[in-house]
Amino acid sequence: MRLDPLSRVGLLQGTLDLLILRTLRAGPAHGHAIAKHIQRTSEDLLQVETGSLYPALHRLEAKGWITPSWELSKKGKRARFYRLTPLGRKQLAAEQSKWEAFSRAMGLILNPVDQEAR
Amino acid sequence: MNSFFRKLRWLAQRSDKEAELRQEIQFHLEEEAERCQEDGLAEEEAQWAARRELGNVALVAEDTRAEWGWTRLEQLARDAGYGLRQVRRNPGFSAVAIATLALGIGGSTAMFSAFDAVLIRPLPYAEADRLVMIWDDMGREGRPGHMPAPAEFLEWRRHNTVFTDIAATQAGDATLSGDGEPEEVPARKVTWTLWSVLGVQPMRGRVFTEDEDNKGVRLVVISHGLWQRRFGGSPRIIGRKISLNDEPYEVIGVMPQGFYFMPSRDIDIWMPASFPPWMRTNFGWHNAQIVARLKQGITLEQARKSMAALSLQVTAKDFRGPHSVVVNLLREEMTGKTQTALIVLLCASAALLLIACVNLANLLMSRGAARATEVAVRTALGAGRGRLIAQFLTESLVLAGLGALAGLALALPAMRFLERLVPEAMGAARLTLDCRVLAFSAAVAIAAALIFGLAPALRGSRVAPQAGLRDRGRGATGPRSHWFPYSLIMVETALAVVLLTCGGLLLQTFEHLRNTDLGIRSEKLLTFEMPLFRYKEFDRRVPFINAQLDKVRAIPGVINAGAINRIPFTNAAHATFYRLEGQSSNAVPGQVALIRNMSRDYFATVGARLREGRFFDASDRKSDSPVAIISEPLANRHFPGRSPLGQRLKFGELNDKGYWYTVVGVVKQIRESGVLEDARPAIYRVFEQCDQVNERLSTGIVVRTAVEPTSIISSVRQAIWSIDRNQPVARIRTMEEIVDRQLATSSQSTALLGAFALLALLLASLGLYGVLSYAVTQRINEIGVRMALGATSSQILFSFGKRGLALTLAGLAIGLVLEAMASRLMTSLLYGFRPDYVPTVTAVSLILLAVAALACFVPARRASRVDPVIALRNE
Repeated sequence: MRLDPLSRVGLLQGTLDLLILRTLRAGPAHGHAIAKHIQRTSEDLLQVETGSLYPALHRLEAKGWITPSWELSKKGKRARFYRLTPLGRKQLAAEQSKWEAFSRAMGLILNPVDQEAR
Repeated sequence: MNSFFRKLRWLAQRSDKEAELRQEIQFHLEEEAERCQEDGLAEEEAQWAARRELGNVALVAEDTRAEWGWTRLEQLARDAGYGLRQVRRNPGFSAVAIATLALGIGGSTAMFSAFDAVLIRPLPYAEADRLVMIWDDMGREGRPGHMPAPAEFLEWRRHNTVFTDIAATQAGDATLSGDGEPEEVPARKVTWTLWSVLGVQPMRGRVFTEDEDNKGVRLVVISHGLWQRRFGGSPRIIGRKISLNDEPYEVIGVMPQGFYFMPSRDIDIWMPASFPPWMRTNFGWHNAQIVARLKQGITLEQARKSMAALSLQVTAKDFRGPHSVVVNLLREEMTGKTQTALIVLLCASAALLLIACVNLANLLMSRGAARATEVAVRTALGAGRGRLIAQFLTESLVLAGLGALAGLALALPAMRFLERLVPEAMGAARLTLDCRVLAFSAAVAIAAALIFGLAPALRGSRVAPQAGLRDRGRGATGPRSHWFPYSLIMVETALAVVLLTCGGLLLQTFEHLRNTDLGIRSEKLLTFEMPLFRYKEFDRRVPFINAQLDKVRAIPGVINAGAINRIPFTNAAHATFYRLEGQSSNAVPGQVALIRNMSRDYFATVGARLREGRFFDASDRKSDSPVAIISEPLANRHFPGRSPLGQRLKFGELNDKGYWYTVVGVVKQIRESGVLEDARPAIYRVFEQCDQVNERLSTGIVVRTAVEPTSIISSVRQAIWSIDRNQPVARIRTMEEIVDRQLATSSQSTALLGAFALLALLLASLGLYGVLSYAVTQRINEIGVRMALGATSSQILFSFGKRGLALTLAGLAIGLVLEAMASRLMTSLLYGFRPDYVPTVTAVSLILLAVAALACFVPARRASRVDPVIALRNE
């Protein structure tokens, strides 16, 4: 199912970092692949602004959560691959549980009906 | 922290990093284009789609670079570069600014180095802030800090409850002989407790024990300096026998480098005090300095109370009646008056720096107006106010940095001069630009940049671009209000007034001290000491001294020579009780006089003045009816309005032993105990009649010369050695050196404060000149209009001159009020002298007004010479 671009969701502040870290948990990837992966996995609901993707990648690198290396892509071209560092893995876990708590709280408030039905 | 280092590494591999980023983005574009092609777009279209998807490539790259965290740094570097260019472009302005700052920063840096060395740097003892010194409070004798007796020390040590332990030290003469020329070494007799009280350990060997101290075992601990100098740092020094005063002593310890203790940093030998039995019970024998360590949790106040009570109890049966004690912190004892001098001078240097900053603020402010166009352009191009302020402040920092560098160059020679301010009791005679001092000057530079740069930056950055650009070419814009520069002028004038007045007061005091009647003529007088441990017996000592004096007198250029047991101005010790014939013994406790023994020619040699009677002469030989000469104050005390000649007196406490001395002369008072000390009554005897006296094992020699006194030193040595090849000669100094050394704190603080004050006056008048010049430039049109309308040039001159003088008068008034507060801080530097404020204040006011009038006159005259035609053509 493909949605109209208008109904795509803009990213909440700060969530891009989390998405990148989560994406890299599956293994090293280059910037383009990360963007496409986020887009695909969210069923095209989330459109990553490429303009903010690279600053975000370099920011995470500066924080030491991911580390880059030049490797050959599937098509044999040199690409800058990023992989999660142990520190980044820890950060991901922390961010993820924070996010889950937050989204659960949001859910509880926004869907009180479900609660009554239970 | 990790991420900081990572960023730092990135900074180093900067161009690699740029290339990588380009590649990374390029790869992204290609990848996206390929994907689009797969979606069915044509190749070129796909490439365009990829670009659209990514957005502005340059912007993405820039945003990414921003994450590398160098933007701020780059801006700073750019601003600093710009600042340096500004410095080069305005050499005149920059030279004035840097020179002004160099004076301010250099002055405070040098002062801080001395302040740090004397007052901040930890003393070389464990927890030195708990160390105190204890003195007898002999209020009745007008000397609060009297040396305690070893007998008192023993009692205090036994009974006190406030100290972990107490130690006593006494003066000790030591002539080190064997292995080379005999050498008089500064030595100190100390109790075995000294090391534990100070909390110090020798670097080699050990210190002596209670048992060794009590038994009088001949042991010494030596200084690191002596070990290196005399024994070449030999590792086998411990256990070595050395010869002190011709007696064998064993070296058992070497103190670490940098260790020193009262009363002088020069002390090289510490030997056991080993009080003889009679000294342990004699409460009249005051010759010890006492240091003690406060118990944990005991305050200075508690110790004072407790020790006062204990002392009253201990001395309850003293024949003079009980006395209390004074307890002071060790550091205060060590620094003495230097502390006040340093505080005053540090404040003065800070005031000078402040004046320099105020001047610069004004200069920058007027330059800011000239740069309004530049600011307007920048603002129009999108520079935020914060960015502009940052730029201005960076420029100020560049100036301050250059000023600090120049200041350090000035500070170094100043520090050589300041070294003489470090008290003799303290170590670190050499002041260095160590990291503490450098950190201080860096901090001062930054603070200065903020002080002089902030106001101009805030003002200069507030230009509406429209107005700024429209006024292009007219130069002056910006706020027209003058209150800010004018109040700055008042501040600096006031500060200059305070410095000038304080300097004036110190100068008056110094003049007073220098003109104090010393009782002798100190010029062309050479002094030295001859240790006499090899001539202990009276019958050998006196002829030996006289033979030496004859030899010295025979040297060409020598007018006369005399000997005295203590060189004048150098020693407050050696006082004794006396009793006049006919007095009851009740009078004795209040009668203490310094006592000095001398050769017959001594008074004539030093140029003492006789009030009545005679000096000693050849008729005064060993006899049962000896004679004495007394000082004028003593004569006035006991024989007001009549002659004391022929009266008799006796020394000692209450015993009936001893000769009666007949007064044969009254000499004008000589300040035996020190140039700055209160004069004490004194009694003089001649060596030939001192056979009963337990004489000190050293004598002072004074030589009156017709030539420069230092030029005969080697001949004097030869003369002495011609009689006894092994006779040591020690502490060769001219009398003027001795006097100068004692006036050093006064003369140096006067010179320094005077220099600060004159610089402050110069800077303040430059500031006044600058502000008025600027006002004239700014109002050139107005002046033109006024002159066109018929104002005479004298009216214009008057209107500008009036403003300058009004500012000066306001500054003068504020300054005098501040001075009234500041002078309280200085009282102890005035040595009890009460200078007359009126001449100083009058002189300062006149000088200030004269200089200010000149500073006003030049720009005011320029204003009055304005040609209205030219001025208005500018419009």
